[in-house]
Amino acid sequence: MFGPFDAPYMQSALLAGLLLAVPCGLLGVWVVLRGLAFFSHAVGVATFPGVVLGLGLPAIGPFAGSLAAAGAFGVAVSSVETDHRVRGGAVTGLALAAAMATGAVLLTTIAQVSTPVETVLFGSLLGISDTDVARCAVVAVTALGAMALLWTRLEASTFDRAWAEPAGARASRTDVLLLILIGFTVVTALPAVGSLMVSGLLVIPAATARLLCDRLVAMSACAVALCAAEVVIGLALARELDVAPGASIAALGGLGFALAAAVSAARSGLARRAPAT
Amino acid sequence: MAYGDRVALDEVSFGLHGGTFAGVLGPNGAGKTTLLHALLGTVAATGTIVLKGRTSYVPQLTAVSEAFPVDALGVVLMGRYPLLGWRRRPGRDDRRLAGELLDQVGLLDRARSPFGSLSGGQRQRVLVARALAQEGDVLLLDEPLTGIDAPSQKSILGVIRAQCAAGRTVVMTTHDLAQAARECDRLLLLNRTLIADGTAQEVLRAEVLGRAYEAEVLLLDGRAALIDEGAHHHPPTKPGGLP
Repeated sequence: MFGPFDAPYMQSALLAGLLLAVPCGLLGVWVVLRGLAFFSHAVGVATFPGVVLGLGLPAIGPFAGSLAAAGAFGVAVSSVETDHRVRGGAVTGLALAAAMATGAVLLTTIAQVSTPVETVLFGSLLGISDTDVARCAVVAVTALGAMALLWTRLEASTFDRAWAEPAGARASRTDVLLLILIGFTVVTALPAVGSLMVSGLLVIPAATARLLCDRLVAMSACAVALCAAEVVIGLALARELDVAPGASIAALGGLGFALAAAVSAARSGLARRAPAT
Repeated sequence: MAYGDRVALDEVSFGLHGGTFAGVLGPNGAGKTTLLHALLGTVAATGTIVLKGRTSYVPQLTAVSEAFPVDALGVVLMGRYPLLGWRRRPGRDDRRLAGELLDQVGLLDRARSPFGSLSGGQRQRVLVARALAQEGDVLLLDEPLTGIDAPSQKSILGVIRAQCAAGRTVVMTTHDLAQAARECDRLLLLNRTLIADGTAQEVLRAEVLGRAYEAEVLLLDGRAALIDEGAHHHPPTKPGGLP
């Protein structure tokens, strides 16, 4: 039998993708419910200069480089965003553009990078290293542990911050921990799906899950399952059609969301036409 | 009590016995919510606040995320989290209590309904049930009756009376002077400072109200009427889907 996952590199890709489904699905729920989709996308893109620098200077490496860039981005955005005159993603947007520009400048001046830019932007799940797979496992376990510890605080402070804060949810500390977790997850997912396609695992499955589920636990389980399904089918498709898996995974996610939106619209249409009880 | 260098409330001094239902009145920006925050400990106060026991809190309904995937029972169960130390998940006893509290506010049949599908008044009742689940000794409510239907107002006022009868202290901010005069044992009239403190007869007099509401009070036949009461900063709650 000759299946799509017979080759060892396909098995590594599958393992990495399935491991990533856990943190991406779990954290994606909070990204969607707290309106952090633009921030998480921007963190991914903002790692670009770090990756370029890390690839150019092997002493740093792309992982440490992107982690540093994500951290700098997070600190810069959250400290400038306290100025209420430039809220609503303006700071995130300009920091994103600045990071891309810095990366482009670094790419053509200092860093001697042999890796093609497409690999940085779209990832190379099929060429994923054992170290990358191990990092995915660490982030999966960390996300599971963090959810067990922070669940009630995240739930209460996302639903009603004005109540949760005096009730002792330590909302600000929880916010920071969540952003750090998102940053780590995004950076770990970069080698697999690239900086432009991270949302395909972090945002789309959770948003789809919200359309299908009305309870938090169900939404979280659904988001992880959708992530995993995207990975399995996306990898098989990528192999069959010879396209970048980051792109096929994100495209599948978009298709899934469109289907879920159509189903939920049809359902509420039926509910409206049903006789009132 | 101050936000940054802006003093929101100055020279406020009062004491409340257990079993008292106090209404906090005043124009927009008078510091009503700030007073609740000072009692909750989320705003630094320069004076001393002695509060016996723990607080339960019902914040303004407008700040709640209506898209959050949770049902009415789940919201009430969140009220148990502080008592459970934010680590343990609610158990069978917590779920039974949450069901009883939903029954108290007349929403047991909506326990499994998504919070976002409830009407504004029903949501407010669920938030009151969540506060009761906190089992605090002092119940603080921020505009719990504003913009909601009459049956929900009646249900919430019934719950408040039951809390007072059980010896708990209740502090509620409101814009509705007539309702506060009818329902509360004690009125605190604020405008950046405590203007008056006492019974409805003592507080709701034209010259006292004039000091708190400044130009907003109109005198009709010697009786005070408020112009445009509470209309500026408090938009009605968004239409809430199915009732």
